[in-house]
Amino acid sequence: MLRELVDTQAPMTDTTIASTFEARLALARDTSVRLKRAIAQVIVGQDTVVEQVLWGLLASGHVLLEGNPGLGKTLLVRTLSSCLDLRFSRIQFTPDLMPSDVTGTNVLVLDAGAAGRAGRFELHKGPIFGQVVLADEINRATPKTQSALLEAMQEHAVTIAGTRHTLEEPFFVLATENPIEMEGTYPLPEAQLDRFLLKVAVPSPSEDELTEILARTTGKPTGEPERVLSLADVRGLQTLCREVAVAEPVLRYAARLVGASAPGAAQAPPLVRRAVRYGAGVRGAQSLILAAKAVALLEGRAHVAFADLQRTAAPVLRHRILLSFEGEADAVTSDEIVRELLACVPTRPEAVERAAQAV
Amino acid sequence: MHRRRALRQALTGGGFGLSLGALAAFALWTSRLGELRPFAAALGALGAAGGALWAGRRRWSERDVALYLDARLGSAETLTTALGAGAAEEPALALVVERAVGVLGSADPARVKPPLWSRWHAALPIPAGVIVLVCWLPLPAAPTPPPLAPGAELVRMGDLQGLRRIEALARLHGQNPEQDARLQKLAEQARSLRERLAKGLERREALSEIAKLRDGIAAERLKLADQQNRSGLDAALRAFGSQQALKDAARALSNGDLTAFDDEMQKLANRAESSDRQMAKEALAEAAREARAKGAKTLAEALEAERRLFERRQAHADALRELADGVTGNLSPEARQDLNEFRSSGDPKAAARLEEGLERALEGLSPEERKRLAERLEQRVAGGADDASPMSRREIEELAKKLASEQGIQGLKEELKELAKPESSDDAEREQGLGDADRGGSAAERGLGAIPMPMSEDGSASDRSDKSNAQKSGGDAAAPPSDAGSGHDRGAGEHRGSTPEIAGRELRAKADAHVAPGALMHGATLGRAPARAGETANQLGTGTLGSSRQTEIGAVDHADIPEEYREQVGRYFEP
Repeated sequence: MLRELVDTQAPMTDTTIASTFEARLALARDTSVRLKRAIAQVIVGQDTVVEQVLWGLLASGHVLLEGNPGLGKTLLVRTLSSCLDLRFSRIQFTPDLMPSDVTGTNVLVLDAGAAGRAGRFELHKGPIFGQVVLADEINRATPKTQSALLEAMQEHAVTIAGTRHTLEEPFFVLATENPIEMEGTYPLPEAQLDRFLLKVAVPSPSEDELTEILARTTGKPTGEPERVLSLADVRGLQTLCREVAVAEPVLRYAARLVGASAPGAAQAPPLVRRAVRYGAGVRGAQSLILAAKAVALLEGRAHVAFADLQRTAAPVLRHRILLSFEGEADAVTSDEIVRELLACVPTRPEAVERAAQAV
Repeated sequence: MHRRRALRQALTGGGFGLSLGALAAFALWTSRLGELRPFAAALGALGAAGGALWAGRRRWSERDVALYLDARLGSAETLTTALGAGAAEEPALALVVERAVGVLGSADPARVKPPLWSRWHAALPIPAGVIVLVCWLPLPAAPTPPPLAPGAELVRMGDLQGLRRIEALARLHGQNPEQDARLQKLAEQARSLRERLAKGLERREALSEIAKLRDGIAAERLKLADQQNRSGLDAALRAFGSQQALKDAARALSNGDLTAFDDEMQKLANRAESSDRQMAKEALAEAAREARAKGAKTLAEALEAERRLFERRQAHADALRELADGVTGNLSPEARQDLNEFRSSGDPKAAARLEEGLERALEGLSPEERKRLAERLEQRVAGGADDASPMSRREIEELAKKLASEQGIQGLKEELKELAKPESSDDAEREQGLGDADRGGSAAERGLGAIPMPMSEDGSASDRSDKSNAQKSGGDAAAPPSDAGSGHDRGAGEHRGSTPEIAGRELRAKADAHVAPGALMHGATLGRAPARAGETANQLGTGTLGSSRQTEIGAVDHADIPEEYREQVGRYFEP
């Protein structure tokens, strides 16, 4: 059949369509390179973090950045928004932040000129009405306030006083949080966590990176980075990302990976059975494919490979795997669980894998 | 690709088959089935076919092939995605197909070919070589058969000595019809065994059969000292008292040797001394009475039969002596010596020698002497001879008339032979026959290479060819019977010996060293004993271990025990 593919189907393929798509891919790749370069003007290092934030942007997913204070999480988001021609808003989460502070509220407006002091309610939109929303230190607010983001993140709409308000696309939430162990934080509810496409771990900068940071931030202030992507570009990239093809074996691999993360599954590895309480769900598998599509797009491919899934598995699944008491007691991390899943779940049938490895 | 995979699997299967074939060839070699060894190589071909078949059944799908090619070419699932594109007209898929074409076009065919050989295939020559080597090797030597179990060897003997003596039991008269049947059965079993031995039989089985026959023979013999007859025998022995003339007979009876007892009675009946004969008759009658009173019916009947026989023997002896007295003038000196010995000892041998002397004397009689002999016989008859004489008054008269002729002399000779012929009791004859059969069984065991277990009279001196011999010699039971050793020679010859005195006073034996002929050996287990050759150890020994010697039974009476306690002590020790 492959031979037939070569012999018969190729002539039938619309080379124009292919060429166009290839050109779009090239453009997207070029754009992403430019975006990374623009960000790099402000952010020192953190290439992986920037890459993964871009996955979220391309896949139309929200990204949760976790790291200690002072690692540049907020700066990264602000820089990214500066590079995009999108409306930026920021919500600083504090323990006394109320949901209406996020979504907005109806405010009574008195008409000064009218008799009888007539007034009317006007919607005072909250910071959620932006396109790139920075939810800074999201775990410092109470779960009630955190949940105010649920509808907006999932449905890209907000209901205020019974009126549903659709948010302007693209809508992209970038949240930062401190590690849960830190004082004065509230763990995000599982439903809230599941809304984030990726959970990006922000590492501490290396010595060289820190030296560079010091050099840039303690001297003369630098200017704002240039805008690289317009609104249309962003929308085009997100559309293009959805068009990336995925083969059935790759989809099956994603399904096997997510399925094996459930401790009750037959194919679950021993570590999962022991240390996991709940595995990733359907949304996790969807996120895995979407993120893998973004990876393929950034690499200029029109299809997803097994390797793309393996690259995105950790940021996609790490916040969707809930450890059991035994797992927490043994200090097992969700990243270890993901590594175990990748090691145990085969990509190809055993015979094919054995033949491919044979010399 | 599919062909290469099938070939690879065929090679793997062939290797597996060859390995099995090597094992099979080795197994055939050790089993010495040499001609089948080359066929073990066929297992290699079977394995190869099996491998190819397996590869056919596990043939990869197109998707598997695409995955394999992607993995080999590092094309990041381009081919796999393009394969699933089908007729879709999505731009991305169109691009993927285009790239897949490019990947396939630029791929190195050598790189994507599935490997044909694995490192395991390098070992293929080893099982093949093993098969060739095993086919070439000479077969191992046949293992030596395990040694036969003791006695399991086959014995084939045309005519085993001794069995015919058991077969002779068929001609023996039993005490009753039941015993007749048992004797017939024993004889039949002996005959059957002899025939089976002629065809071939395991030694242990033959020995077992002979042992059973000997057990049967032992069961048929009179057991005067068993539980039932012991008190009767004791009483009968008391009836014989301590008379010197009856001492030997009493001893034979105490030993349970009915044949020797019969011999002693014969001698007593032959004696000329009427008091001895009368004493013997009265002792026999008294002993029979006492035995019957004590419930020893078998012994009582044997004694009564012996008493009746005693009277006939007495008449025969009288007649013989009458004739000898009639021709005493014509007897040779040897015949006269025999006559004197016959009178004094009653020895049957002396009677036989006397009969021969009388025949010679009758031949030399002149007509005048014959006439005088006839007259003397008539005078004897007229003098009131005993009616119990074997020749009745009328017969003697007839004989006296015939003495004048040669026919009369011939008839007298025949009558003499009858008179001198020793007559045994039925019980004695039966015992003699049973003893002979038992010795035959012993000889048969010896003929089969076994050491026979001595039975009650096995090897004793009471051989019927010389009944009284060795009875006194005692100790040498295995010695062949001969005329030597008779302690009853009271003839006129020189019997003074010159035995030197042994310098060893302190060597006196304190124990009773008397060994009764026919008595049991110490520790010998008779009957079905485990130690018997050819017998199994699962049989309980039921021999005569429970029996005791008569001297032991009567020991309480002769011991130094106060009279008032004697009966109590006797009951205590009674088995």
